[in-house]
Amino acid sequence: MERSAAKIAQAGTVESMDCRVTITQSDGPMTIEVAGSGASRFRGAMEAKVRDVLSGLGVSPDSGLRVDVQDNGALDLVLGARVESAYLRFTGGPAS
Amino acid sequence: MLYLPGNSPNMLLRGHLFRPDGLIIDLEDSVSAGEKDAARVLVRDVLRRGDFGECEVTVRINGVGTDCWRDDIAAVVPCGISGIRAPKTETPRMVKDMDEYLSSVESKSGMSVGGIEIFCLLETALGVWNAYDIATSSPRVTAIIPGGEDLAADLRTSRGNEGTELEWIRRMIVVAARAAGVDALDTVFPNISDDDGLRREAGFVKQLGFDGKSVIHPNQIPIIHEIYAPTESEVERAERILAAAREASERGLGVAALDGRMIDAPVIRRAEFTLQRAGRARESDERRVKSCR
Repeated sequence: MERSAAKIAQAGTVESMDCRVTITQSDGPMTIEVAGSGASRFRGAMEAKVRDVLSGLGVSPDSGLRVDVQDNGALDLVLGARVESAYLRFTGGPAS
Repeated sequence: MLYLPGNSPNMLLRGHLFRPDGLIIDLEDSVSAGEKDAARVLVRDVLRRGDFGECEVTVRINGVGTDCWRDDIAAVVPCGISGIRAPKTETPRMVKDMDEYLSSVESKSGMSVGGIEIFCLLETALGVWNAYDIATSSPRVTAIIPGGEDLAADLRTSRGNEGTELEWIRRMIVVAARAAGVDALDTVFPNISDDDGLRREAGFVKQLGFDGKSVIHPNQIPIIHEIYAPTESEVERAERILAAAREASERGLGVAALDGRMIDAPVIRRAEFTLQRAGRARESDERRVKSCR
């Protein structure tokens, strides 16, 4: 069965060493907001990781996506995994 | 062997620091149905990072018969694991289905075909009844393991402190495992605050012949290591067996003997295993001493 795209999708938690990633559709270029424990020190690196993962999934910088990250000490790889899961949920695939 | 919930970064990234012999990363019961997709991605990326110390790493996939098991295998097998834990294995056919799919994933990933092991969890009466046939259904099968909660439910009973409901099943699993030439590993002890109960159960299953026991909490690891640590006389005898075997080999003798008893290959394997366990126990003791300083 074909799965349809969601208007909002989330992945992850705000438990220790995790982060919650929320993706919504907006207008204009992609925007990334980072909040939580890593925001002040690692904002640039976290934004770069989000862009890198989405680029790897074929998302254009002009996609109009808004990505919100609520961080609680997530390592780089955890952030990447949560972004990927949120985006796959946003687009409705692949089926789990 | 310590179970780690597959959707918990905290545990996935720190589990090996508690120095279990192995990690069982769980995509099954500890992950809710709505989080299977996210857990699979997270586990894949944690496995790719590959920082697990000296632990053997296996993944408990979702059972054959669910919509998830093929996706689980495709995600984790190329990431450097030793094997998969197959829950609710009931028939040799289920093992063969996994074997075939593992081969196709290994082949597509450029891995040597047949390298990924299968640890079969026997969590129903039918699975236990078919234990030997399951254990011999594929060369990939490395161990058979009785279920705990699921098996008790299938038997229409519940888990008690004495483990009466699993006693006969544990004996049968050991016999089937030995007949098939695979390991017998025991299920978890669910009461994480009952150290005496864990110690009693671990001693019992060791005496039955189980090769190890899974745990669900890091605090249970030292107790299992303590129970499975060989005694000084066992270590001394193992060292003498290996010395006698080496001497016989150097002298070109086909058969070695010690104290009037023949030493054959299984005796040597057992001695090597004893020293391996003793080494782990010594490391554990040294860590305990350091942590007390």
